[in-house]
Amino acid sequence: MTGPVIAPASTTPPPAGPGPARPRAGVDVLDGPARRRGVRTGRGLRTALVTLLSLFTVAPLLMVVMLALSPADAPTIPYALPDSLTLDNVATVFQVGAFPRWFANSFVYATVSVVVVLLTAAMAAYALARKRFPGRNLLLWSIVATLMVPMQATLIPTFILVARVDGVNTLWGLILPTLANAQAVFLIRQFIRDLPDDVFEAARLDGAGEWRTFVSIVLPLIRPILATLAIFVFLWHWNDLLWPLVVGQSDEARTLTVGLATLNTETASTANVMAAALISFVPCLLIFVLLQRQIVAGILSGAVKG
Amino acid sequence: MSTTATSPAPTSPTSAPRGRTPRSDARRRARRREAVAGLLFVLPTLAIFVAFKFVPIAGAGAMSLTRYRLSGDVSFVGADNYTRLLADDAFWASLQVTLLYVVLFVPLILAVSLAAAALLDAQVRLSGTFRSLLFVPYLSSFVMAGIIWSWIFATDGPLNAAFDAVGAGPVPFLSGSQLLVLASLAVVSVWKGFGYSMLIFLAGLKAQPADVHEAARIDGAGAWQRFWRITFPMLRPVTFFILVIETIVGFQVFDTIYVMTGGGPNRVSHSLIYMLYDQGFKFFDYGYAAAVGIALFVIVLLLSLVQRRLVEGKEPA
Repeated sequence: MTGPVIAPASTTPPPAGPGPARPRAGVDVLDGPARRRGVRTGRGLRTALVTLLSLFTVAPLLMVVMLALSPADAPTIPYALPDSLTLDNVATVFQVGAFPRWFANSFVYATVSVVVVLLTAAMAAYALARKRFPGRNLLLWSIVATLMVPMQATLIPTFILVARVDGVNTLWGLILPTLANAQAVFLIRQFIRDLPDDVFEAARLDGAGEWRTFVSIVLPLIRPILATLAIFVFLWHWNDLLWPLVVGQSDEARTLTVGLATLNTETASTANVMAAALISFVPCLLIFVLLQRQIVAGILSGAVKG
Repeated sequence: MSTTATSPAPTSPTSAPRGRTPRSDARRRARRREAVAGLLFVLPTLAIFVAFKFVPIAGAGAMSLTRYRLSGDVSFVGADNYTRLLADDAFWASLQVTLLYVVLFVPLILAVSLAAAALLDAQVRLSGTFRSLLFVPYLSSFVMAGIIWSWIFATDGPLNAAFDAVGAGPVPFLSGSQLLVLASLAVVSVWKGFGYSMLIFLAGLKAQPADVHEAARIDGAGAWQRFWRITFPMLRPVTFFILVIETIVGFQVFDTIYVMTGGGPNRVSHSLIYMLYDQGFKFFDYGYAAAVGIALFVIVLLLSLVQRRLVEGKEPA
């Protein structure tokens, strides 16, 4: 089957699909020699500019790597280059204090959220797209409407709610409120709605039970959107600060981002802080290297908002 | 986020003749089964949304009308929090900080992401590699961005080493004037965030029809002229979308401030969310903090409405 492209929500910019490719400068035979020279210097200038911009984006990351791998007391950038590089700082960070715990917390926070968000959102999306039941449109509208409310606006009541049930400084208190993901429900629902009807019809005629139909027909069909969402839900949680900051206040309950933010203000050597920052970035970098295509597609389909 | 729910459900195949025929009975049973199944499938999501979206949203409004302290005593105070907010110099100062930050951040991120997209669009060789290199900071957290840029901006950091070398003395990026501190913070957010807008601009550029550009080129329009006269005007809806999204992002600035300046020096970077955080989690004045949250919500809502108005008015879709 042809994988349906998710219709961009009305908030996403119009044409994201591949349009007719524009002929590139320099291939036109009508160009005279003078013009061609102009094109060449133009191209050189553009390459220089894009290289400069790449330096702006990549240099800070390289600095993190360099500082993290420089021996603790040796002179290093910006004043000198260290004689040798070492993984000592990275190893130290893992042995010191609650860092392993922070890492584990972030990992649980991100992965549990991915699994539960995707499963519950896919179930709801399937029903919202394919089942008729009372209150369906009201529910869909209500879920989509919550996208208008910034998370910070409900930070206080959500915190009070979690505090009332003794969820402060617990992993479940951290995770539960973030499972309500309207974007996931909405995007999966669009995806399922655009699937051809006959798939569902065939399942019905086969007499497949509802849950069987969902697990063995719906889930495989929506794998592309699930993969994209999995990446973004993971990144959102892994990189999240404000909610983990207010709900995880004890050293043991901190996530990696919260721990890093406190490390930076407390007394820790630059080498160790940078090593910790580097470790926090590695999973994101791995995801990027392996799944770049889905990330780009996800942004263009409106899977993320800024 | 509005096109969706209006699409009518496929209406039942010609509403069946009323009356109790065996067929209509079977159909009714099937319908009931479908409704039960549908409700069961949405149940987990419904429960999660009620508990952690609908209740907190209603709660935010309700709490903002109360005096709600850490001790747990709650009393209804009507609009007191709002009148206090409007009379609170700290609130207006936070709003001023946030607005100045937005004014610095939004044009900068728009310019950088548009320039990056235009360069990538024109780039022939290694365009995929360059796209990855430009996008990669988007994967980092604001916390990590804050940590590395704190080091870059530090008095003994690389930027000031460069300034020292030319005798320009240390520049107090994070401890100087308000304009300098907020601009420095804006640069960090642009570094971390522009990859997103860049990709959206890039998609907009790739979707532009070739013939218009070709015609302008044959007419002798230079690359610069073509960009500003043709390419950029055709990107208007995309630009507007990004403008609104990044403005909303700008109003929510918190992480970098928390890591890099702590709202200082002398509260010059004490943004709206920073005030909410302080009121809630330093002074434990929950009712008042909730009112600050509502203020943010109103601002974001107005921006979203303006966006919808302008974008949807433009194109029939």
